[in-house]
Amino acid sequence: MLRDQSTKEGTGPLPRTARLLLYVLLKRADRRAVINDLSELYGRRLELHGEVAARAWLRRQLITYPRRLMVERLRRMFPGKGGNGAVRSAGSARASVIYSLVRDLRHSARSLARSPMIAATIVLTVGLGIGATAAIFSAVNAVLIQPLPYSNPDELVRIFTESPPHRWPISVADYRALEEQQTSFVSIAGYDNSTVTFNRGDVAERVSGKFVTWDYFSLLGVTPFRGRVFNESDGKPESKATVVISHSFWSRHLGGDVRALGQSIQLDGNDYMVVGILPRTVGPFEQGRDFFVAVEWQHPPRRGPFFITAIARVNAGTDRSVASEELRAINKRIFPVWQDSYQDQGASWGMMDLKDVVVGDVGTTEMLVLGAVVFLLLIASNNAANLLLARTTQRSRELVVRAALGASRGRLMQHMLSESALLALGGALVGVFVMYGGIRLLTTTGADFIPRAQEIGVDERVLLFLAVVTLISGLLFGLIPSLTGVKLRLERALRVGGRSATDAAGPRRIRRVLVASQFAIATPLLIGAGLLISSLARLQNVDPGFDTDNILVAGLSLPETAYPERDDVQAFWPQVVDRVEALPGVESVVLGDALPPTRVNMINNFNLEDKPTAPGQSEPATPWVAVTLGYFTALGIDVVEGRPFNELDHGDAPPVVVVDQAWANRFFPDESVVGKRFVSGGCTTCPLSTIVGVVSDVKYVGLDDPGTGTVYWPMSQGTKRFVFLLVKTHSDPMVVLPTLKNAVRELDSSLPLSNVTTIDESIANSLQAPRYLTALAAAFAVVALLLSVIGVYGVMSHHVQQHTKDIGIRIALGGGPSKVLGSVVWQGLRLALVGVALGTAGTFYLTRFMASMLFGVGTMDVITFCSVAAVMLGVALVACLLPAHRAASVDPVSTLREE
Amino acid sequence: MTRETLGEFEHQIMLAILQQGGEAYSVSIVEELEQRTGREIAQAAVFIVLRRLEDKGLLTSRLDERASHDTGRVRRYFKPTPEALRRLKHSRDTYIRLWDGIETTLEKA
Repeated sequence: MLRDQSTKEGTGPLPRTARLLLYVLLKRADRRAVINDLSELYGRRLELHGEVAARAWLRRQLITYPRRLMVERLRRMFPGKGGNGAVRSAGSARASVIYSLVRDLRHSARSLARSPMIAATIVLTVGLGIGATAAIFSAVNAVLIQPLPYSNPDELVRIFTESPPHRWPISVADYRALEEQQTSFVSIAGYDNSTVTFNRGDVAERVSGKFVTWDYFSLLGVTPFRGRVFNESDGKPESKATVVISHSFWSRHLGGDVRALGQSIQLDGNDYMVVGILPRTVGPFEQGRDFFVAVEWQHPPRRGPFFITAIARVNAGTDRSVASEELRAINKRIFPVWQDSYQDQGASWGMMDLKDVVVGDVGTTEMLVLGAVVFLLLIASNNAANLLLARTTQRSRELVVRAALGASRGRLMQHMLSESALLALGGALVGVFVMYGGIRLLTTTGADFIPRAQEIGVDERVLLFLAVVTLISGLLFGLIPSLTGVKLRLERALRVGGRSATDAAGPRRIRRVLVASQFAIATPLLIGAGLLISSLARLQNVDPGFDTDNILVAGLSLPETAYPERDDVQAFWPQVVDRVEALPGVESVVLGDALPPTRVNMINNFNLEDKPTAPGQSEPATPWVAVTLGYFTALGIDVVEGRPFNELDHGDAPPVVVVDQAWANRFFPDESVVGKRFVSGGCTTCPLSTIVGVVSDVKYVGLDDPGTGTVYWPMSQGTKRFVFLLVKTHSDPMVVLPTLKNAVRELDSSLPLSNVTTIDESIANSLQAPRYLTALAAAFAVVALLLSVIGVYGVMSHHVQQHTKDIGIRIALGGGPSKVLGSVVWQGLRLALVGVALGTAGTFYLTRFMASMLFGVGTMDVITFCSVAAVMLGVALVACLLPAHRAASVDPVSTLREE
Repeated sequence: MTRETLGEFEHQIMLAILQQGGEAYSVSIVEELEQRTGREIAQAAVFIVLRRLEDKGLLTSRLDERASHDTGRVRRYFKPTPEALRRLKHSRDTYIRLWDGIETTLEKA
């Protein structure tokens, strides 16, 4: 079902790359027959000798094809004695062109071999550029261009509740109403991501998966690897509980044995029969999920809670706007039904393409990174052009002699272009290696930040891109020197023995323009990297709002089967706290259902008693954190007003909450919030909660979050089945882990610890994505700067070398070495200056696209702009000093004597 | 018309086609040759030589549409022309005359 369609009828089992190669090599008339024949032979070998032998055979066959075809073509072009006359006469014109091309290529190869340093520099730098560009493109291809790996993915959408700027899932009541009343969709499925405890023998492991409606898989068009997906009878309360498992879960826990089908597995203490196993490669919605349990949600007593992610397939002929309109109409229709429990008339339902859901805001980042590598490739090509131009000017005499002997302009062009073609080809070869390395790097290290990372790979589109990029790059660095080379005037070249031809004004000017433009292109890369670096530095310096030292974190969850009643849950947590607190090395332990700086499990809405939300408006919503006694003290969070929770805040006492300063300032900027009351969760019959204290701010939804306020409530006044244990230790927190595990096992051996980490680690993890992006940008910037510096150094060295005589005369006439030094440095620096100035102007336009990636630093940050310009000019100065110094130490006597 | 001699591989392919009943496609030729010579044959070589022999007027070919309907696969079948058959016969006669009387010498070797 997914991407591998190689067994499609008519194409046979031949791998895609093999088919592609044959497609390129063969004439149209032969393609289908040859591909089919080879496919048939390959299929038989697969059956007879197995995959390894068959693949080796295929490799040999495929290597033979280009060689044989080449020989055959040459044979037809240059038939030997007794050849077929008709073929010979038809091919002779073409033959001479190809023959001269072959001769040019051979000649170019020899001539490049004479300057191996230049050839190697060009091949490596251009190859690096081509490969990096292709690797990033392959990610863009997988994430943005490739359709989702589901059937007819264009018809898939996600439906959500929306009250701009917020979006959240739908509720059971919503789902039921949608299912019954909609006409614009083929079907609507819902799911709820969940983590449960898998028990088997001694193994107790937390595994993540989805609770899905029975039509989830059929809606997406997912077919199982073994067994079946759900049908209408699954998930019903009266039918046997069923589960579809991932390929990896099947291999890890069930030994990859097909007899697992029909067996039962235990999740959170409940038995589920395995009915299907998913293929190894799955779509982004199944990626990383181990189980899929079919559910049918029961009729709810009220509108909320909102936890169902709804996906739908739009009817083939239905317009999106019509479908959206229908969603809003149904929402409006059911509003009065649930008005007792839900008054947010401002919220409605909207939908968006499923692909946009997957891609999220990564699209912009990826396009920017692609832009950055294209810039890098431009610099590399520019550098290559510069090097080749220097070579051309040095070789001008040879070219002039060739022209004098009768070579036409076209012939000269062909000769010179063949050289850049060879270099581009070498670059492409290096590029292929770099591309594969890059893709490996992206899929292994970037899997956490790049959606659909597992789908990144090389396909026809990526290969075509690589070919086009190579061609463009080859033309870029090939055309300029070739055109210049051809333009060199015959008489000027032959007039004197040297300089006038080799340092003609034309090529010199072009080389300077090239160097200046290198700096211009490098500037945005450096400024971009500079902005990201200062943004990361600011993020790293953000105060998370609590004492992060020596805190071990572990998740713990109580399944409903073993702890069915609220009292069971309430009784268990204090036991954990007592046990763990008694462990050696533990200073204190508290529980909370959120984990700073990035994990909060609940965002709740509320209606203030003093400032009620106007009818029809959406209520404000903020993070909602359940905590045990002593939470604030243990984490070093200051109580700035009122009191923290205490023993009197038990389940039967009136509900109380503590808010943070951001919350207090947001809703009651000019008065004390202690004593203020609100009702939460849209509940009209629930008692009011009273604010008893205000604490300092803590980051729960990311270090870059400006802080919209957090509400804390005591765990003793609710039922929390999943919590984080926050264990404050005297020394290295990980040392306590084994004894902590034992302590929990002694209380209940079926409970595994999940998400084990330290607070420091979880803070570092939250910075992983920006750090990755910054490292990438910094690497690009360094390479860009290096290439630009090589460019300016090359031009100035060449300049000094060509002008040794002039410099000698100047010094002989009394021009001091320091003046010479200054003049050379100024000439080089001028190029960098012009480039950086132009680049900076362009960057003002470009950095605006980075706004969403920056924290605490503007897209026009003057300090970054200035320091980058200073660094670039400083490095350019150093690069010019070397040739300048050489110029200043020219000995006029010996130089003039050479004349 | 100058008569170009058949190369060894060209010769073998012609014979393989005849062994297949006078008409064959590259897969059956490859298998026939592998079976009779005991070595691996490159399909590329076979197909290229088939096309070459066709250009020389020694083979004709047709695309088998019927097979395409049945299996979704398209096959190109090749068949020797009368000229090819004449040449094969001529070459066989020549070789038989040349071989005449030397089998015993070789058997001793």
